[in-house]
Amino acid sequence: MTAVIEQRRVRRGNALPMKRKAALLRWGIIVGVLLLLEVLTRAGAISPAIFVPPSEIIWRLISIVPTPQFGRDAWVSLSTILISFVIGLVVGLALGVFLWKVPAAGRVLEPFIVTGYAMPTLLFYPVLLALLGLNAGPIILIAATMALVPIALTTMVALNAVKPILHKLAKSVNASNRQYYLKVLLPAATPLIFPGVRLGFIYAVIGTIAMEFILAARGIGFRVGFYYRELQTGNMWAYIMIVVVLSVIVNGLLTALERRIRRDML
Amino acid sequence: MTPSTATRASGVTDVVFDAVGITFHSDTASTEAVANVTGTIPEGRFVSVIGPSGCGKSTLLDMVGGLLKPTKGSISINGERVTGPRKDTSMVFQEDSTLHWRSVLDNVAFGLEVHGLPKAERYETARSMVELVGLSGFESHRPGQLSGGMKQRVAIARALAMQPRVLLMDEPFGALDQQTRQFIGRELLQIWEKTRNRVLFITHDIQEAVYLSDEVWVMSARPSVVKEVVTVDLPRPRPSGTHALPRFRELEDHLWSLIKVEAEKTLGAGAQRA
Repeated sequence: MTAVIEQRRVRRGNALPMKRKAALLRWGIIVGVLLLLEVLTRAGAISPAIFVPPSEIIWRLISIVPTPQFGRDAWVSLSTILISFVIGLVVGLALGVFLWKVPAAGRVLEPFIVTGYAMPTLLFYPVLLALLGLNAGPIILIAATMALVPIALTTMVALNAVKPILHKLAKSVNASNRQYYLKVLLPAATPLIFPGVRLGFIYAVIGTIAMEFILAARGIGFRVGFYYRELQTGNMWAYIMIVVVLSVIVNGLLTALERRIRRDML
Repeated sequence: MTPSTATRASGVTDVVFDAVGITFHSDTASTEAVANVTGTIPEGRFVSVIGPSGCGKSTLLDMVGGLLKPTKGSISINGERVTGPRKDTSMVFQEDSTLHWRSVLDNVAFGLEVHGLPKAERYETARSMVELVGLSGFESHRPGQLSGGMKQRVAIARALAMQPRVLLMDEPFGALDQQTRQFIGRELLQIWEKTRNRVLFITHDIQEAVYLSDEVWVMSARPSVVKEVVTVDLPRPRPSGTHALPRFRELEDHLWSLIKVEAEKTLGAGAQRA
């Protein structure tokens, strides 16, 4: 008995440093790459038109972030991402429920939606610009469409995966349809829907930033494109770093949320 | 052959099967699953139904639970015809039907919650049911942390929490290993000695049927009828040595011989078709 406990302690004792080691190594890689880039750019091995020393990017960031211009750009991008995501979420969930509820419609429509996955939807951006003008509308339309595809598909799959026995159980206790949906179906499907929602959010970010980059008057994506065309490589990289950091933060939050939801599945 | 339950005078509070039959229709064919079942489950009786695979045992149970409507005859409980799920019946299924996102306590309280019982009341009942099935201390565990046998106890507690007049159990231990199965069967009997609700218990385990029941209904191959009602005249309570009693063996042998004939019919029909 004590031997078993002992063994377990040893195993757990090993597991933690393993995780810590991996994290350390990860940070080591990041710092190493930054140092390498610093040395290469300072030595002139990489043209300053392509990349600037990481230390300079950090200085640029410190001067950019407090400016009102950055505040406006960040606000525009973040609000566009959020609006696109919420529209994609609502429409995607509704579409997913519809495809599940009406299997015939699912069979007809599913290929279109799956194609939506494979197709670079942003090619329609110029057409939409011509139709709707240079404002947030075309960006939101495309980013929301990109977001709704994975959400609709995972919702349909998740609802189909709910065990029929749970429906039988709900019926046997005389649950109303509403009770079945809210107390059984929705919580049963949520952990499976979540990966699609997470992907939807990522698509909303990609769609928004990419469209701003192509053509827009404001936004973080627009700034990256603007400084690229102006050959201000340092500022361009500063804004790219902002997008990277934003993505890391959002991804971290979504992972934590997903882990919380998944914990219930065990 | 023991006297058929149909000939016994049925009381008002009984579960009464009156020439019950059901035929399923699909686009291409219609299948008569249950041909004619007549019988009575009197108050405080534990009735098991055994029969060859696919003979419509579960279908019969679903009809009592109000999940399926008989196409012939009728089922009544307390003199009322069953037309849908009733508050005084509750079901336990073979498959794991626990809700994985709910704690054990919230799983047990599920039926009461659906029926709109106030929170304090339903938790009070749920707590005592959790205790009754021997899961005290696991109230806040999730089903994912429990073994298969423990999950079935949660399902039993959930069914008992509704304080049913009729407990409908569809091979509740069918997915468990032999040891757990015997152990949990004994526990079920101990619980039942306290509650004494009517139980309709579907199984294909003959030993289990004899050990648990007052009566075993042997169903024929499809389209099924109750071929024989075997009264289990073993004394209660039944301690663990019951399996070794000569009378137990006799009943087991008798039931086995009845089932064998029906199973051969099913297999023979299958062979002919093939």
